[in-house]
Amino acid sequence: MSITAVIIDDDLLTLADLAHSCDVSPEWIVARLEAGLLNLTITDAQQARYTSAELTRARRLCNIERDFDANPELAALVVDMMEEIERLRCPIRSLDKHVVDV
Amino acid sequence: MEFQDYYKTLGVDKTASAEEIKKAYRKLARKYHPDVSKEVDAEKKMQAVNEANTVLSDPEKRAAYDQVGQGYQSGQDFRAPPNWDGGFEFSGGNFNDTSDFFSNLFGQAGKRSHGRRQYQERGEDKHAKIIIDLLDTYQGATRNITLRAPEFDATGHTVTKERTISVQIPKGVKAGQHIRLNGQGSPGFGGGAAGDLYLEVQFREDARFRVEERDVYQTVPVTPWEAALGGSIEVSTPSGAVQVKVPANSQTGRKLRLKGRGIPGATAGDLYLLLEVVLPPADSDAAREIYETMARELAFNPRTGA
Repeated sequence: MSITAVIIDDDLLTLADLAHSCDVSPEWIVARLEAGLLNLTITDAQQARYTSAELTRARRLCNIERDFDANPELAALVVDMMEEIERLRCPIRSLDKHVVDV
Repeated sequence: MEFQDYYKTLGVDKTASAEEIKKAYRKLARKYHPDVSKEVDAEKKMQAVNEANTVLSDPEKRAAYDQVGQGYQSGQDFRAPPNWDGGFEFSGGNFNDTSDFFSNLFGQAGKRSHGRRQYQERGEDKHAKIIIDLLDTYQGATRNITLRAPEFDATGHTVTKERTISVQIPKGVKAGQHIRLNGQGSPGFGGGAAGDLYLEVQFREDARFRVEERDVYQTVPVTPWEAALGGSIEVSTPSGAVQVKVPANSQTGRKLRLKGRGIPGATAGDLYLLLEVVLPPADSDAAREIYETMARELAFNPRTGA
């Protein structure tokens, strides 16, 4: 029997899901949301729903904080740099001289 | 079951202080951190380092480990003596991605301690990466995944059991997205629900395609006459063969966009065909003559823009 997987972005995570998935408390997530470390602007963390990208960022923050006893701001700086490196490693879009729709 | 020498894993002495263990762990965590490390098997090594640190940084676990591991060498066949953990109290086992050795020693003790407290808790979520082909996201795919989880055997010992599940990868998933399999994480405690399994999707490298979000780029070789004169060519794309009209006077690097033929989704991506003009080799008299005629007849110098 095969199990159907669900894309997170089609069935977004609740605060409790996100916290459980990172093995932290919801308060841990809320504190980082309020400090702007998850790069999200939301007014109600409990009602908000979270994407794959936010899960990746929260897990990275959590790992860096735990592995290096890093303070949250420093961990966020490291994660910002990781994300920047990923963007830079993406193949650079070739300069569009001319795109033709066919 | 092989004995794990956690001191060796962290590269510290058996007499190392808590501070030395912390320092050694941080150094290795930096070296093998899966998000940044270029080391082969970084993820696996990071798991071993995490496991060693979990034991050696906890005074209770370290003391128990030192007691039970006396005289054992790394890799040596190991069997824990009965009631080896008498007198020790552990704060619970983290079953995620640990060796049989760890599960056997600390998993069992962790579970028992939970049982005594009539504790109910949802199982931990598990995380892994899954590599799929680009074509899989166009069509959807089924993949077998092997999971390892600790279970109790008939004698009450923890053993690591492997199970293989068949997973349907949804159509339209893109690189970096997570897919969730409900209830496929670690088992719950005291009747609690099982955790979920999260798989982070990556595409297998394929020299034919480049992917940016939902847009897919594919290089298409064309002959000089197809590029110069234009015309219809058949191209094998991830969504099947399509007839594409090449505009006359195309050059290498020209992009042709096929709307909606990128990665499928509520808003499907586009497929960009990048034309690459390939010259036939001048390896026969006939071919050479054609090039010579072109050289004579066409007043063309790409370096002067003529």
